[in-house]
Amino acid sequence: MNNSLIKLSKSHLSSKSQILPWAAITESHIHTSAPMCRVVSGKYRITKKRDRPLTYEMANPPHYIAHRKTWNSWNTSSLKDGLRRSETVLEDEFIRRFMTGTWHGLMCSEIIVKRQFNHIRVAAIVRRAISPTKMYFLLGYTEELLSNWLQCPVTLELQTVDSFKDVVFKYI
Amino acid sequence: MSLIIKHCRSNGITSSFNLRIWRLNSTSMDVAAKKGEEEEEFRVLDILKKRDKVQKKVARRNDVQPDRADRMAVDQNWGNVWPGPKTFHPSSVPLPIRQGYVPKGQAPPGKKANAELMKIPNFLHLTPPVVKAQCEAIKQYCTEWPKLLNSEEAIEKHYPVEVITSDYCHASPSIRNPLARIVTLRVKLATLNLDKHARDKFLRLVGDRYDEKTDLVTITADRCPARKQNLDYVDYLLTACYHESLNVEEWEKDKTEDDMEYYDWDKNASKKSLVQWYLRMKNENVDLKDEQFIEYDISQIPNAESYKNAVSSLMNDGENESTVNNYAKEVRALLGLPEKLVV
Repeated sequence: MNNSLIKLSKSHLSSKSQILPWAAITESHIHTSAPMCRVVSGKYRITKKRDRPLTYEMANPPHYIAHRKTWNSWNTSSLKDGLRRSETVLEDEFIRRFMTGTWHGLMCSEIIVKRQFNHIRVAAIVRRAISPTKMYFLLGYTEELLSNWLQCPVTLELQTVDSFKDVVFKYI
Repeated sequence: MSLIIKHCRSNGITSSFNLRIWRLNSTSMDVAAKKGEEEEEFRVLDILKKRDKVQKKVARRNDVQPDRADRMAVDQNWGNVWPGPKTFHPSSVPLPIRQGYVPKGQAPPGKKANAELMKIPNFLHLTPPVVKAQCEAIKQYCTEWPKLLNSEEAIEKHYPVEVITSDYCHASPSIRNPLARIVTLRVKLATLNLDKHARDKFLRLVGDRYDEKTDLVTITADRCPARKQNLDYVDYLLTACYHESLNVEEWEKDKTEDDMEYYDWDKNASKKSLVQWYLRMKNENVDLKDEQFIEYDISQIPNAESYKNAVSSLMNDGENESTVNNYAKEVRALLGLPEKLVV
């Protein structure tokens, strides 16, 4: 009903030429964004059987960044007067999503994106669940595609582990 | 066919039992096949099928190479192992490193599968022997420092103009930084060899770009998009100011006492009254014009020179304890009064 009222008033107002520039104000714009959820985000609940595996990264909640764990993105954009802030964040997020999708079910840790000059280093811990041949293919494939999209050299620096259990820090 | 493969995996009595059943099974199948399609049989319920289930082969490769750190010779050249900046890799670093926060009494996580060690920047490629070797390698491209420029004073004397620019190094696909365009030019005013008039005019032209304490003129340019253009612009500004300050315009002769940037005793009323007082002392009744007052030689008046300095410093440096005391002393000396007694 509100909507129709607004439409009505809009059409009524816009019929008069002198109010036309004010049409944007008469519309109701609702802006939404994701809630911060400061209390629960980045934290894990304890299970009854105490069998939820956590890596070191997961075991330390976000407020321990720079105290017990470090950042997953290393670049100069976040410094004062840094350039390309939003672009860097977006590219990092893209790299993370592309990596988790390409190395599907193999990533055992967060993906670490380090930038030096125009060089992007992507580091991660990978499970040895596929043959080395396939792993080499994925390595070249990821580097090639990412460097094509981001227009700068990308290097993958992976560490392999036998299974996910190797990166488990504790169970809660 | 599958029956033979099965046999290899099973053992003991069960295997023979298995085998037999399978034979029965297969023979019945064979019989059915021989009979042809005209007679269809019911499928035989295989009760023990569960036991014959093929266990899926797990592709486990055991050919993971041993760590490089373990196979490395003791006298290995570390620069060859870690030639450039790289993320930490536990199998090639022969150090028992641990990192991570743990409750008291526990050992922190080791170097393997430790993401924290991979995050932090390491300097394993910059060990002292490697730095030394690299310095030796680039030495051939260096030239010797000129012998005559052995001190700061010598450098300042031969290269009075100082140009300051900044280069920025950051992680980004582009190497450009807009702040790199800013150029600052610094020069000591004393090195420009300006005369009294030119110096005064130069200071008026540059305004607050001159620092009295250090005697430095600082000109900064950031209006052009490229550093080269800004560099040309500061050069142009300095040249233009210098030559303009050397010019004497017609209207500059109209400068009055109010326009003076400092107190000139010779042109002020203080000298006039001193001269008049001196002439009256000598009982000379001479009418002097303004120009004559200015040109009057005060060296014949006793203590006048130091009195002049005292008044000038009082007016130019401002009133403070030392200038006022000095002034009082000089006035007593000029008038022939006894010196002030310290009580």
